[in-house]
Amino acid sequence: MPGVYLALLLITLGCMVILDWRYRLFFWRGPVRAAATLILGVVFLGVWDALGIGLGIFFRGDSPLLAGLTLAPEFPVEEVFFLVLLCYLTMNLYVAATRLLSRRGGVGGDGGNPS
Amino acid sequence: MSYAALDLVMLGAAALIALVAVVFGRARVSWAAAGLALAVLLVATGVFDNLMIAVGLFHYAPHSVLGVAVGRAPLEDFAYPLATALMLPVVWEAVGRWQPADVRTVIASSRPISWVNTAYPFAAAYLLSTTNISVTFVVGTLFFLVPYNLLMYGINDVFDYESDLRNPRKGGVEGAVLPKRLHRPVILAATLSTLPGMLYLLAVGSWLSGLLLVLCVLGVLIYSTPPLRTKERPVADSITSSLHFVGPAIVGLALGDAAWTPQLLALLAAFFLWGYASHAFGAVQDVLADRAAGISSTATVWGARVTARIAIVAYALAGVAVLLSGWPGPLAAILVIPYLLVVAPHWNVTDERSPEANRGWKWFLWLNQLTGFGVTLLLIWWALGR
Repeated sequence: MPGVYLALLLITLGCMVILDWRYRLFFWRGPVRAAATLILGVVFLGVWDALGIGLGIFFRGDSPLLAGLTLAPEFPVEEVFFLVLLCYLTMNLYVAATRLLSRRGGVGGDGGNPS
Repeated sequence: MSYAALDLVMLGAAALIALVAVVFGRARVSWAAAGLALAVLLVATGVFDNLMIAVGLFHYAPHSVLGVAVGRAPLEDFAYPLATALMLPVVWEAVGRWQPADVRTVIASSRPISWVNTAYPFAAAYLLSTTNISVTFVVGTLFFLVPYNLLMYGINDVFDYESDLRNPRKGGVEGAVLPKRLHRPVILAATLSTLPGMLYLLAVGSWLSGLLLVLCVLGVLIYSTPPLRTKERPVADSITSSLHFVGPAIVGLALGDAAWTPQLLALLAAFFLWGYASHAFGAVQDVLADRAAGISSTATVWGARVTARIAIVAYALAGVAVLLSGWPGPLAAILVIPYLLVVAPHWNVTDERSPEANRGWKWFLWLNQLTGFGVTLLLIWWALGR
């Protein structure tokens, strides 16, 4: 079924947004700050992917779950959403972890108060 | 190159970004939290990477992987979460030290009004030599649109700090006075945004395009950074300034494997002379302010009159050079005429009356748009006639 992978990515991204909204982790803490971090991450990983494709290391699979749209040779549109998800997850986890650690009285990062 | 080697390069770049963010961004990261996030990410990668490979979303060239795998997931895949956990929290904390107004100031320091002036020469040169839109086209255009300008003008503002404070003209459309506490963020933003695109363009290009790109970026750096600081050396000031705009076009041509015909070189020479003249004339209006601030330029050393005349002659030579380019290039000579009309009245300008040249210079902001439009029409004409 084409598009299943994309749909799953979008659902998972939706979960990231809900967690972010509920606990004010990333975009709900600092939208500009979050956007800058996310864009840098996605561009960086995108370059990594593109180099891997260019060097003939990775290839797009012929899975029927892919929507079939590619942004460049061997670079399916889903990959962008995957990279966004990886960066979003990293930052949700990081901010949640700083809060968890500071609540336990350890040396915390940026505490729990949304600025 | 093997997947493991690529990972080492990219992890090195991520570490460099993290280091710059710590040193210049004064980011204070909770490494315990980053470690915790990494642990979860590694487990998630182990699970989901296996699933994704199992259903055939992607695969690897067998000879390029080490062969060490967690289930089906090659060990090298775990470098991705390692890089994000290393780099993103640091960037987040560094950017978190900025106030919203600071972000605007940093963006303003890259002169958004001029972004197109460097992106366009690259895009046009690349597109016309390859005739197809590729990832390299998009990455290169974005690179010359924002990071390149942040590197050029932002770092320029850092090193111009003292003189900018004494120059009332800077601070509006023509530039931003950068408070000292924003110097580190600007260097940070310029480095962070430049690295990915530069790495990519170096990797996909030939040795020639790579060399030209490095020279182009070096030209941007030596313009304002000591000890060379060519912006304060007569002649070298206008040469480096002009190459800031011709450089992206040359890099675009090299990446697009263009044939370096005499007609093409004539076109580049015309572009260079036009940039040379525009920079030289721009310095005329600043003679008094620059001298008062102890800044040197062609205009402060040779005087306003000589500099204005050099600019007028360089515009005229640009018009001559473009006549030697391939049809319909010679028509672009018409575009030189408005510039001559604007600068010619200043042929006899004196140092005392040099601030009046600002009137002419303000015209440039509009004339440049008109010229860009005219050049675009000619490029389309040329592309259609091929």
